Amino acid sequence: MKKLITILSILSLGSATVLAQAPVWNEIKGELKTALEIKGDPIRGKVAFEQCQGCHRADASGRVSGAYPRLSGQHAQVLMKQIADIRSGRRNNPKMEPFIGDHVLTPFDIADVSIYLEGLPMLGTNGKGTGSALDKGKQLYDKDCAVCHGAKGEGDAVKFYPMVAAQHYKYLLREVNFIRDGDRRNSNPDMVTVIKPYSSTDLDAVADYMSQFAPPKK
Amino acid sequence: MIHRDTTFKPMSTRRPLAMAAIGLALGWALALPSAAQDAKTIATAVCGACHGEDGNSAIPMFPKIAGLQESYIVKQLRDFQSGRRKSDIMAPVVAALKPEDFLSLATYYSGQKLKPGETGDKKAASFGKMIYFDGNEENGVPACIGCHQPQGAGHLIYPRVGGQHVQYVTQQLKNFANNDRSNDVSRFMRVTAKRMSEEEIQSVAEYLVELDAK
Repeated sequence: MKKLITILSILSLGSATVLAQAPVWNEIKGELKTALEIKGDPIRGKVAFEQCQGCHRADASGRVSGAYPRLSGQHAQVLMKQIADIRSGRRNNPKMEPFIGDHVLTPFDIADVSIYLEGLPMLGTNGKGTGSALDKGKQLYDKDCAVCHGAKGEGDAVKFYPMVAAQHYKYLLREVNFIRDGDRRNSNPDMVTVIKPYSSTDLDAVADYMSQFAPPKK
Repeated sequence: MIHRDTTFKPMSTRRPLAMAAIGLALGWALALPSAAQDAKTIATAVCGACHGEDGNSAIPMFPKIAGLQESYIVKQLRDFQSGRRKSDIMAPVVAALKPEDFLSLATYYSGQKLKPGETGDKKAASFGKMIYFDGNEENGVPACIGCHQPQGAGHLIYPRVGGQHVQYVTQQLKNFANNDRSNDVSRFMRVTAKRMSEEEIQSVAEYLVELDAK
C-alpha cells in the first residue's frame, strides 16, 4: 500500500510538472475557446462597448498619446484573445483589468464586443512617429515582422496576429518594448526571440514604420 | 457553435438594452392618467420636500431627480428598499412606499426637466471639463463621457449627471471611492472614483453643475 502511495505521488508530481510548464501562447482553451465558438452579435457588442468608450473613445480609435490603443477594425479573434489573456492574468493590464473582469463581461459579451469592434470603420488619425528612420524600420519589419503581421500590417485573424496598421505609434512602441523585455507575457515566444537583440533605436524605427501603414482596405 | 440562451431574464440581467426595453414598455403601460395623478400626489406629499415637487431639489445635499432615466430611478428605489444602497434618510421613506409606486414615481420624475445650476469655481470647472472629456491617462480614470455622454444626459443604464448639485456629486463619488455606495453596475464607479484625486472629484462636480443636457 505504501509503495502504491509512493508511486501515485510520483505520478502526480510528474503531471504537476507538466502542468507547470509555460502554456502555449496561442492555445485555444478556456473562455477563449468558448468565446470563439459563440456567434457574436454586434448590436449587443455596441451596448457592451459603452463601458469601454471612456478610454478607447466612442469610435474606438483610442488615443494618439498611446495610453489606450485603437480597437476599431482589429480582428475579433485577436481582441478575444487579448481580453481573455488580461482576465486570466497572462497579460498585465492593471488599468483595464477591473473593467473587464468576469463580474463585468461574460464570454458572450467578449464575443459580442469583439465582433462589433472588428466591424467598425477605422476612423481618426493614428499617432505616428517622427519618420526619421523609416528605411531602417522597413528593413527590420520586412525581414522579421511581415511574415506574421503582413506586408502592410494587416495581421492574421486565424493565427491571433494583431493588425498593427493604423495603430498609435506610442502604443506600438510601448508594447514592443514590453514584448522584448518579457513584460508582455502572452506574446508569441518566437517574436520575443526575434526582437531580443533589437536595440531601443531598432524598436523605435519599427514602431514608427508600422504606424505609417494606412488602415487596410476591407 | 455555442448558442445563446434567449429565454427571458429578469430585470436584474446585465443586458441594458433589454432592461431599457422592458422599462419603456412597462412605463408606457403604466403612464396612464390615473397612475400619473397618483404619482404627482405622492411626489408632492413624500418626495417634494427634499427633491422638489418637479425634481429640482433646492438643497445641495439632496439630488435633483428630474429627468433621470426611469429605469435608473426604479433601480435606486429598489436598492434603497433592499439595503443595497444605504441611506438613513431614504430607507424609511422608501419603506413607506408601495413597490408599485416606484415605476409611476419614476415615470413622473423622469418626465420633469432638470434645471442646471451655476458653478462657483470656473477654474475648477474648466479642469473638470478636461477630466470629463478625456479622463486621466496617468491614473487610469476613464473619461466620464464614455457612459454619461457629452452633455451629461446619460444613456441606457448610465444616469443623467448634467446639472446635478456639486455637493451631491462629490459626496456620491466619495461614497463610491470608500465603498459606502456599492450599487453601481459592474463596480465601474467604485473603481473609477477610487482612482480620482479629491481635486478631480471636486472639479468634475463643478463642471457638471452647469451642464444643460437636453
